[in-house]
Amino acid sequence: MITWVNIGLSASVLFGMAIILTYILGWASKAFHVHVDPRQEEVLEALPGANCGGCGHAGCSSFAAAVVEGEAEVTGCTAGGEACAESLARIMGIEAQDSFPTRPIVHCGATFDNRLQRVEYFGEKRCAAANLVTGVQGCIYGCLGFGDCQNACEFDAIHVIDGLATVDYDKCIGCGACARVCPRNIITITSFVADRMLAVTCSNQDPGPDVKRVCNVGCLGCKSCQRASSLFKIENNLSTVNYDAYSIEELEKAVIASKRCARHRLAFVGKGDEVDIGNLPVEALTRAVTADFKTTVDDTEWRG
Amino acid sequence: MIYLLDLFLIALGAALINNFVFYYFVGICPFIGVSRHLDMAVGMGCAVTFVMVIAAFISWTITTFVLMPGAPVSAWVAGFFLAPETAATIDLSILCYIAYIFAISSSVQFVEMYVRKFFPKLYESFGVFLPLITTNCAILFACLTIMAKVTAADTPADAWGLDKALTLAFFGGLGFTIAIVIMAGIREELELADVPRPFKGAAITLIIAGILAMAFMGFTGVDAGLRNALAM
Repeated sequence: MITWVNIGLSASVLFGMAIILTYILGWASKAFHVHVDPRQEEVLEALPGANCGGCGHAGCSSFAAAVVEGEAEVTGCTAGGEACAESLARIMGIEAQDSFPTRPIVHCGATFDNRLQRVEYFGEKRCAAANLVTGVQGCIYGCLGFGDCQNACEFDAIHVIDGLATVDYDKCIGCGACARVCPRNIITITSFVADRMLAVTCSNQDPGPDVKRVCNVGCLGCKSCQRASSLFKIENNLSTVNYDAYSIEELEKAVIASKRCARHRLAFVGKGDEVDIGNLPVEALTRAVTADFKTTVDDTEWRG
Repeated sequence: MIYLLDLFLIALGAALINNFVFYYFVGICPFIGVSRHLDMAVGMGCAVTFVMVIAAFISWTITTFVLMPGAPVSAWVAGFFLAPETAATIDLSILCYIAYIFAISSSVQFVEMYVRKFFPKLYESFGVFLPLITTNCAILFACLTIMAKVTAADTPADAWGLDKALTLAFFGGLGFTIAIVIMAGIREELELADVPRPFKGAAITLIIAGILAMAFMGFTGVDAGLRNALAM
């Protein structure tokens, strides 16, 4: 008899608990109901799922949520490219607009030999740590060459060659990981309207004589490029490219300017070999470039 | 006065001296898994504390009234079928594990729904670790400690009341929060450190956890000393 009472009591205790807790949870699931758009799942499946963060969101799932909310463009996924943008647009039921890939530009062109006043550094071999110490090298703006960007890159697309971070544009997918880790913010993510883009490969904002003291190749702020083409503007003793005005007519003058640059700081960066810029279709160049990416740097630092 | 002292010593013991993570080595999974950032660690600590208090409340209630030998509700029900003296010995304490798991998983589910509704950012940062609180042994450990204190007491007067149970659960959760926050602070500093390659990742984390546990050994015996000093 006592066995049966024990069994019965055990069963009814668990059954009672089940009923009470189920009731509470059932009430809670109604009271705390969160509406999730079914499209969010579809968007998430269409994304590459690398969670690289190139879109500026925490991961693929938060980007998917932002797309469904309408806060992010369907073209926002840099890793997925056009095919991904098209499938997202189909899910969302909107037309995908043409988008240009974003790629990093390293705004420093000095290899080890060109950087002066470099002292032997015994600390941690990391840019983030070396940047905290003064006097590792003369130039306080340029590449440190310890390869934080190389370590951050998931796609083996940026390497330190001769002490200078160099992007392999054939492998790069433009996720922006390198730009986020660079403690000196010399890597900017720029919309590449052409395969090769003209860029200023220097970040030094000091006056010319000071630059000469610390670097063999740094921009002196001599304004010869600004005189040759309105594409360039000297700000804080440093030449910058106005990518909003990046057009075929301006580019011809800009090529002349790049030849005049005493320090050869105006260089074409990007995929492949030197292409004849004049042969590119005009519509490939006149598209406006919007600054929507680099959130870690304020607008004043943004040169893309 | 003795009552307050008891509560104080239970709180101190659960939070620092017999810290769940560093003394009993329970709850290591979220302790290692979610201690990468300080804000997430604080959130996780709060969630574990919250779940622990709810689970302790449910488990204390069930243990005292239903599961423990001669518990009032089960004895009353058994009284309909059995003689009064056999009914008083009815013992359902074999059910404690399944009942506690039941209570813990439901309260985790409840917390998950609540957090998702009212703190979506926190919900996102928890990710898989919120459901994993279900299998967090620290919470089951708190429930089992409470059960031991309720059922294994020499006299009924020594059995823990709800106040002591909730104190243990809350300060045990607080101790977990302290541990995970210390760990997260150290790991944030570690991001900058040049760790030798064989020790990278989980290895250095476990080494740090071990050193922290050794540091917490310094609290051993403080409760006995405090009791002697304060009971005077």
